[in-house]
Amino acid sequence: MRIRSVLSVLGFILVVVGLLMLCVLPISLSYDGEDAYALAVSGLLTVGVGAVGWYVNRKKSGELGAREGFMIVGLGWVVASLFGCLPFLITGAIPSFTDAYFEVVSGFTTTGATILTNVEALPEGLLFWRSLTQWIGGLGIILLSIAILPILGVGGMQLFQAEVPGISVEKLAPRISQTARILWMVYVLLTVVQMALLVGGGMTLFDAACHSFTTVSTGGFSTKNASIAHYQSSYIEQVIIVFMFLAGTSFALHYRALRGEWRSYVRDNEFTFYAVLVVLASLLVFLAIPFGERDELGKVVQAAVFQTVSILTTTGFVTADYELWFPAAQWILLMLMFAGACTGSTAGGIKLVRILVLLKNGINQLKMLIHPRAILPVRHNGKSLDQEIIIDILTFFILFVLIFIVASLAMTALGMDIVSSAGAVAASLGNIGPGLGSVGAVDNYAHVPMIGKWILVFCMLTGRLEIFTIIVLLTPAFWRR
Amino acid sequence: MKIVVIGAGEIGFHTAKILSQEKHDVIVVDSSAAQLERVNDALDVMTVEGSGSRLTTLRRAQVEQADVVIAVTSNDDVNFASCVLSHRLGAKRKFMRTNDADFFQDAEVTPQELGIDMAVSPERLAAKEIVRLIRRTAATDIVDFAEGRIQLIGIKLDQASPLINRKLRDVVKEYTEVPFRAVAISRGLRTVIPSADDVFKKGDQVFVISKTEMVPEMLKISGKESVKFENVMILGGTGIGQQVAEDLEEEVSVKLIESSKEASSRLADVLKKTMVIRGEGKDLDLLATEGIMDMDAYVAVTRDEEDNIISCLMAKHLGVKKAIAHVEKTDYIPLANTIGIDALVNKKLSAATEILKLVRKGEILSIATLHGVDAEMIEMVASPKSSVTKKPIRDLKFPDGGIIGCVIRKDEVIIPVGDTRILPDDRVVVLTLPRAIHEVEKFFH
Repeated sequence: MRIRSVLSVLGFILVVVGLLMLCVLPISLSYDGEDAYALAVSGLLTVGVGAVGWYVNRKKSGELGAREGFMIVGLGWVVASLFGCLPFLITGAIPSFTDAYFEVVSGFTTTGATILTNVEALPEGLLFWRSLTQWIGGLGIILLSIAILPILGVGGMQLFQAEVPGISVEKLAPRISQTARILWMVYVLLTVVQMALLVGGGMTLFDAACHSFTTVSTGGFSTKNASIAHYQSSYIEQVIIVFMFLAGTSFALHYRALRGEWRSYVRDNEFTFYAVLVVLASLLVFLAIPFGERDELGKVVQAAVFQTVSILTTTGFVTADYELWFPAAQWILLMLMFAGACTGSTAGGIKLVRILVLLKNGINQLKMLIHPRAILPVRHNGKSLDQEIIIDILTFFILFVLIFIVASLAMTALGMDIVSSAGAVAASLGNIGPGLGSVGAVDNYAHVPMIGKWILVFCMLTGRLEIFTIIVLLTPAFWRR
Repeated sequence: MKIVVIGAGEIGFHTAKILSQEKHDVIVVDSSAAQLERVNDALDVMTVEGSGSRLTTLRRAQVEQADVVIAVTSNDDVNFASCVLSHRLGAKRKFMRTNDADFFQDAEVTPQELGIDMAVSPERLAAKEIVRLIRRTAATDIVDFAEGRIQLIGIKLDQASPLINRKLRDVVKEYTEVPFRAVAISRGLRTVIPSADDVFKKGDQVFVISKTEMVPEMLKISGKESVKFENVMILGGTGIGQQVAEDLEEEVSVKLIESSKEASSRLADVLKKTMVIRGEGKDLDLLATEGIMDMDAYVAVTRDEEDNIISCLMAKHLGVKKAIAHVEKTDYIPLANTIGIDALVNKKLSAATEILKLVRKGEILSIATLHGVDAEMIEMVASPKSSVTKKPIRDLKFPDGGIIGCVIRKDEVIIPVGDTRILPDDRVVVLTLPRAIHEVEKFFH
């Protein structure tokens, strides 16, 4: 293990995080600036520590192997969150370290679960930083660093693979740093367009920025206690539905479309599956909504679509209390929490390509019972997949479910009820945010016991980094020479 | 530059590696997914799966926008087709590898007429390299610079060398009448750019730049005598073997040993002055009869690399002054020092080196890659604005991975010392590790 090259990259990541923190300063000052001091101190401290770590070890940065890659990504997220919660602690907005860390991990991992009972009480600077953590975490802290720091040539690929969701990495340009930059450009473009549309719908620029950050990152933090329901605007909901959907689509496809290859959307198996799933699940959820006499059909349909897209893309915005719906609706939403959206997007969860491959593989296995000698390849986008990839996906699926089982067991052991435990773990592992029961649509995570919060922090990180990156750090084989 | 490399074998891999380290945008095309996986794991390049002779593949590799297309698959026809197609699609420069050195021999059109800038034959290049090495028996490497007025030579320090355990600084002081500049030391598997305080060790391969007329003196200092060679024995009638014989037979007496009947009779027909002998290289009696003890140089270039190495060791054991073997695996090349063979040559590496040189032409003046060493020689021209002209060399803060080898000022050649100051319009020969090439370039902007 080349510890010093790991430290040097980690240092650089902290510098990036710290600089972003300092970017919030002018926004804080343009309001009453009560959090300006905390932001300045935390920003400078983060940049300082990062710069020292980077500078002292810069000459030692040799080539990064797979081991260093996992180490950097795993530790990078843990350490970035550690510094990210400084502004909350210094202002005293969140006095407990556990709570602050939970909130920031929930931010970076784009989960969107909050321990704040009254979000609106936070000063603007902190609110903005909270939304910004999701925006940074959406495409990835490391990916941002790769885009800025092109010297991580081959090593960059290791990091890319360890952080970006998906079964195989797709390069959009010859160099990894160019690929990272392209993805960030698409990301910024989506954000800016959404921001303009929201401002057009009557949102303040501040709210529009914060909500765009948390939509395109499929994060789900809101600056309002009632989330999107606060605005009571059909237009705003529609804009957000569209952008949640876009954020749940592979960014590589967006890039192709921007270059004029519109048909690449339709040609992609996963995207087609995603689109069909959104329609079907929305329909099912719609059928499971109790229809009152005073309800308008259009509004109910929109509520069903909004909630389905919000949960499937793992965003977690809320416009209606889905716990008042029939249990079937809740069950569908719980299942969607596991599914997640497309690979290469900012969504969490298992990802649809994996589910698609598992389904195809399952069908093949059944066919094999009848035709034992048949050779039945599992095809994705017209290409047959290696057995290795299928085993990889199966392992991922099993680990995902296993972590879900163990973590929810632990939550029930802490005294939470079954529905809330399962909901909280599913919502954290899939990076959704709102769960079921006592952590449902209109509730928050403040009341979860301290150990429970740490379990959920672990779930959020493992889920965001697609299980393997974190789990491999916990295996003895990783540390052996 | 945008560069498309077709073929992810040894040559393709090596060129793609160096070019991507130099921050070019590289796309590698190969029809084998397994080969591409190896490339993807080790290099920061984009890969495209498919045959290089297919138009669709070339389009996917964005050949239209490519500044350079390098076709180096093991199949000459694929290389040819992909170069011609790339030309049609609008790629700027095209280089192809020809395994058959006579690919264009009887053609009525030249490669240039078809838009192929250069056809590179690995066997021919390897042969050239071997001949160059033989001509200077005491040196492991020789590269000409500045129209031959300067040479870079590689010297292996053996037990007898008086330089062993002495500091570079002291050696320079003692031999002021022989100006030289030590630019690299290959020690084990590492290449170091030496500083004045570095100490020479036994087994080091030292690369030195010196004026051509001073080279014999330089060799004497390091404990080597430049020997005139008269007798050369070649084992293996491969393309390389034949080429080496052709190049040398006019000057010296050449014996070529080949085991196959057809090949040996064909060679005997083609090679007018070389004595072709049919027999096995492992046959010690045969070698003794043919007077291996009196050979000045022994070259083993059969298709079996292990045979080549072993027979070279045998030749060295019998007292041959210089033994050179051809190996297939580039990984073996740094071992030459350790196992006691004077030089290991790999035709693919020679080809890759040549291609890199061609690619860089126009950008950088002239160039060479050293054997088994991860360093490059480049020639740069200082402009009045270059930061390299602002201070004496000692105060330049030149990057760790680079060293100024010599300075050519109009007709004068200067072997620099710390106080030397580079003037505008000077041509400067720099030795650099690939990672530092861009930093070095900055000094000349």
